[in-house]
Amino acid sequence: MVKKTRERHARKAAALPGLDPEIIAKRKKRHLDELERSNYSEPTLLNTEGDGEPDGTTKGRARQTISDKRDFERPGRKKKSTMNIRTAVLYRKNLSTLIEESHIAEYPSSVPTYLTAVSPPPRYPPRLLCSICGYWGQYKCKRCDMPFCDRSCEEVHNETRCERRVM
Amino acid sequence: MRTAVSEFERGSCQYWMGVRKVLGAKFTLTLVLLLVTVTMMAGTNIIVLDNGASTIKAGLANSDYEHPRIIPNAVVRSKGDKATYIGHEFEQCQDHASLHYRLPFEKGLLVDWDAQKAIWDGLFSNQCLGINTTESSLLITEPYFNLPNMQEVYDQFMFEEYDFESYYRCAPASLIPHGNLFSEPDLPPAECILIVDSGFSYTHVVPLLHGSVVWRAVKRLDVGGKLLTNHLKELVSFRQWNMMDETYIMNDVKESCCYVSVDFRQDLEACRVNLQSNSIVREYILPDLTKDRRGRLRRAGETLAEIDQVLLMNNERFTVPEIVFRPDDIGLEQPGLAAVIAISISFLPQDLQGMFWSNISLIGGNTKFPGFRQRLIDDLRSLAPVEYDVSIVDCVEPITEAYRSAFAFATKSDGQLFKAVAVTREEYAESGSNASLRKFATSDWQAGGIDHSTSEAIQARPEEDRTPQLKKLSRTRSKTVPSTSTSRRR
Ligand SMILES: [Zn+2]
Ligand SMILES: [Zn+2]
Repeated sequence: MVKKTRERHARKAAALPGLDPEIIAKRKKRHLDELERSNYSEPTLLNTEGDGEPDGTTKGRARQTISDKRDFERPGRKKKSTMNIRTAVLYRKNLSTLIEESHIAEYPSSVPTYLTAVSPPPRYPPRLLCSICGYWGQYKCKRCDMPFCDRSCEEVHNETRCERRVM
Repeated sequence: MRTAVSEFERGSCQYWMGVRKVLGAKFTLTLVLLLVTVTMMAGTNIIVLDNGASTIKAGLANSDYEHPRIIPNAVVRSKGDKATYIGHEFEQCQDHASLHYRLPFEKGLLVDWDAQKAIWDGLFSNQCLGINTTESSLLITEPYFNLPNMQEVYDQFMFEEYDFESYYRCAPASLIPHGNLFSEPDLPPAECILIVDSGFSYTHVVPLLHGSVVWRAVKRLDVGGKLLTNHLKELVSFRQWNMMDETYIMNDVKESCCYVSVDFRQDLEACRVNLQSNSIVREYILPDLTKDRRGRLRRAGETLAEIDQVLLMNNERFTVPEIVFRPDDIGLEQPGLAAVIAISISFLPQDLQGMFWSNISLIGGNTKFPGFRQRLIDDLRSLAPVEYDVSIVDCVEPITEAYRSAFAFATKSDGQLFKAVAVTREEYAESGSNASLRKFATSDWQAGGIDHSTSEAIQARPEEDRTPQLKKLSRTRSKTVPSTSTSRRR
């Protein structure tokens, strides 16, 4: 443990020795992934009763699709789906598998794709906002790199959020 | 519709002459297509389906122009109701607490076909649109840069499951030139259009030249309504009430309280003054789940009941939509929207760039935040070369603009325009997805950046598989599209 005075002194530096940038990058990535979630908590089994598994996977028994169960009356509908449709509905693939199987990564660089359409990183340095109250965050936590604005927010950070202890 | 018309555009007769030439060529093409298809015309329904990741906007061409059905593109489970609602059924949901969402879309792409099929089945059923798909045609939107393997699944669904007579699939922004956003009486549609489509999954910047998407200049910002709602959930849950499982409620809070700041510094200071009574803070009265009362913004002077739970919306009101303009605020290493637009324009022909700066419009639900348009203009002004005019054409209903443009396209010339580009059941039976690959080539990203004369050549070619075609396209791509090239003259 370092002494308080040194701690103060070191606070203003953007990156501190001992703070692995890889870990920070990983945490950021994890947080961004969390912001893409459709639900915060997965439902308990009780809640999905009659719905199959929430994530569309099977568990032992023969799987029923959602549309099989509800069976909407549609004029002119067919009785049986083709193999292509049954495959698409029954065997869900995750996004990275789908992208891999699309082979868009192998397209010549002259063809823009889902992968290359994303904007390049900005040229300006990131703006820091206090992770506790939202005001300018001119200091950074030496353990987890999250910005904060003053002593009181720092304390709240240390007690609740540091290294993502809460939430 | 247009509220701002650029001086630059008006003064540039050189460009208008270019437009006329191109339009002339296009018109001839349309006439030929009309002659070819006029004998095959039958009075079929065309269904217009803007298949968004958050909501589906759908209706029958000829009858539902102003009022498409708007249904959640989700299978929603309500704990309180102990019921599951599929798409259109959600309007029956009474208890909006802790809803569990199953969404067909993930990161802008359709990945859950089980959920999507159930929602489409319900949409086409007698409970909703009540259409016989086997006697109808379909115009459906697909994600920007939709994966080729996914496009095949779209094709399979439309012909093998729903058995449509014919269908056309394209990205939402490519339909905008057919709507009335950029049209003015007595003038041809704008030659250069730049659409910002900020939806649930992402924000795309999509330039269109002569009505076609310039795919090599399309840029994506990985910020959409889903991320913003989730970010707001986190802030509020940390600062006040735990709302992590309340996506539905927090989305309503976002839509009723949030705005885009035109002066972030000043607003941030204003919020510090007094947490309860500064000029920014608003109170959102959370829904009373025992009384079936929806949440709402507290009106000025409104007295609160004892049981009312209030959510204070202070700097959360503007720091959340701010992420569109400063993604770095949440650690996302992408430039803000204005910079993404500048990057997109830099991929366009030099002599036309001024036209794009002055013909921008905004579609998608995110653009509805108050202040969005003004902030974007301010940010763009600081990035645009001084000699260019920056203007944003006002879009009154950004959520349904793509739907209404699609509708206009489907009904134009008595449906002949649609008929010319749609793949028929017979064509699919004969050549499978190659049929749509060939026919949709003019609007698809895999043919990105090529002009119409080239894509016609592709259309006329006999069937071939994806690989040789791609090689061919990549050769043609490297050349830019001149607006006044001599090859375009009649
Ligand atoms: Zn603070
Ligand atoms: Zn920390």
